[in-house]
Amino acid sequence: MQSTSARSAATEPAVANKRLQVRGRFLTAVALPVGGAPGEGYLAALDELLKQSPGFFSDAPLILDLAEAEGLDAQAGFAALLDGLRTRGMVPFAVQNATEAQKAAAAAVGLTALAGGREAALPRKSASPEPEPIPQPEEPVSTTVLVTEPVRSGQRIYSERGDVVVVGSVASGAEIIAHGNVHVYGRLRGRALAGVHGDETARIFCQSLEAELIAIAGLYKTSEEIGDAFAQRPVQAWLEDDALRIVPFK
Amino acid sequence: MAKITVVTSGKGGVGKTTSAAAIGAGLAMRGKKTVVIDFDVGLRNLDVIMGCERRVVFDFINVIQGEARLKQALITDRRLENLSILAASQTRDKDALTTEGVEKVLDELSEEFDHIICDSPAGIERGAHLAMYFADEAVVVTNPEVSSVRDSDRVIGLLSSKTRRAEKGEEPVKPHLLLTRYDEARVARGEMMKIEDVEEILSIPLLGIIPESPAVLKASNVGTPVVFDEKTPAAKAYTDAVARLLGEQLEMRVQPGERRGLFQRILGRTA
Repeated sequence: MQSTSARSAATEPAVANKRLQVRGRFLTAVALPVGGAPGEGYLAALDELLKQSPGFFSDAPLILDLAEAEGLDAQAGFAALLDGLRTRGMVPFAVQNATEAQKAAAAAVGLTALAGGREAALPRKSASPEPEPIPQPEEPVSTTVLVTEPVRSGQRIYSERGDVVVVGSVASGAEIIAHGNVHVYGRLRGRALAGVHGDETARIFCQSLEAELIAIAGLYKTSEEIGDAFAQRPVQAWLEDDALRIVPFK
Repeated sequence: MAKITVVTSGKGGVGKTTSAAAIGAGLAMRGKKTVVIDFDVGLRNLDVIMGCERRVVFDFINVIQGEARLKQALITDRRLENLSILAASQTRDKDALTTEGVEKVLDELSEEFDHIICDSPAGIERGAHLAMYFADEAVVVTNPEVSSVRDSDRVIGLLSSKTRRAEKGEEPVKPHLLLTRYDEARVARGEMMKIEDVEEILSIPLLGIIPESPAVLKASNVGTPVVFDEKTPAAKAYTDAVARLLGEQLEMRVQPGERRGLFQRILGRTA
């Protein structure tokens, strides 16, 4: 017994230092209405829809809308419906607009009941005959957030996946937050946080460093620590050996 | 259709009500039918500054809540028949203000008046928000002092995002910077921010520079808008500001004190 506990103590990984980062995620789900008592007729109508747009439902997060559904308050009914859907490559993960009985039956087959959510445009046109790939929008969009007006006190500019470029000054009390680099073609008086998701190669560039606080990948320096040496001069800041370096441009 | 101008600042005590009264009176003196509305519910002082506090029967909130007609609440200034005041309630608070109620009153006023001046309370809460929400133009009153400048900056940001024009994607609210309580001697000593520094931080067109003046305190105690005291530099500065608001191009005057000889005044003119 003692050896077992000694082994388990030894194999305790050093995971404790890394914090589990739970992030939110936006997805557009497809809401499939279930009308009446879903039986053969319903599945036949689905087949029609799939013939017109074969790839429409593949890999889409699917929600069953039970607003008009009859029955389905027993687990058996749900299981049958799910079988029918799964053989057609459709895998729902939740229901909405369900009665209490329907919710219970849904839970029994592993579907959660959703409350909120709002109408959203579907990522792809359903009338298209070509088999479309994953409906989630994958258009090549620039990840850079570009701001061409001065950033006013109290405003917050956030780039979730890229850089932030400000053509103008950043006022005291404003915040610039970027997954990547922060570029300010003006005076940086507020806060700039670069590499907020952990990118230690991110940098901050500005034409005059008068910031209240700058941070790269969580490591920060306040105005007091930066001092006045860099005001009125174009500088860049980056991480080196776990310390923030601020160096003026020549 | 009336032009709706909000006089706002963020920071308290910088001269919003004084300026709203002066600008309102200035516009009326130029022949424009003008009404000034006090949005500072519960802490009203526009009526005192304008000298009509003894004639308030019904107020803005009464009209919004349908307890009185607009005609019953509007007070016409005894000195200028073009100028009217709509006082705020002193017994209620800003929760009595509603967007629909304010919109209705402004629409009704638009039919009769050329200019509607909204005197905003300090802060960025409901009263200030509603005062700016329907505005076409804004006069951002700022003292040449760091906390006032920062608060004004915040308000300018709100003007471009939390107003009806911004929400509807229409032409944005036109902001103007009104620098008040300016004291050139203190600027020279380095105790006060320079005009250029304030302009650089706020980046909005300068409407006017109102010098620190004992005339202002006298005016509010007597209940007369500053512009009536025509010889004082503050009154002249407000008159110039009103002219610029109406689109005229005027050279900016910077006055250091109350008395300046003719010679000094010529030399002291700055562009």
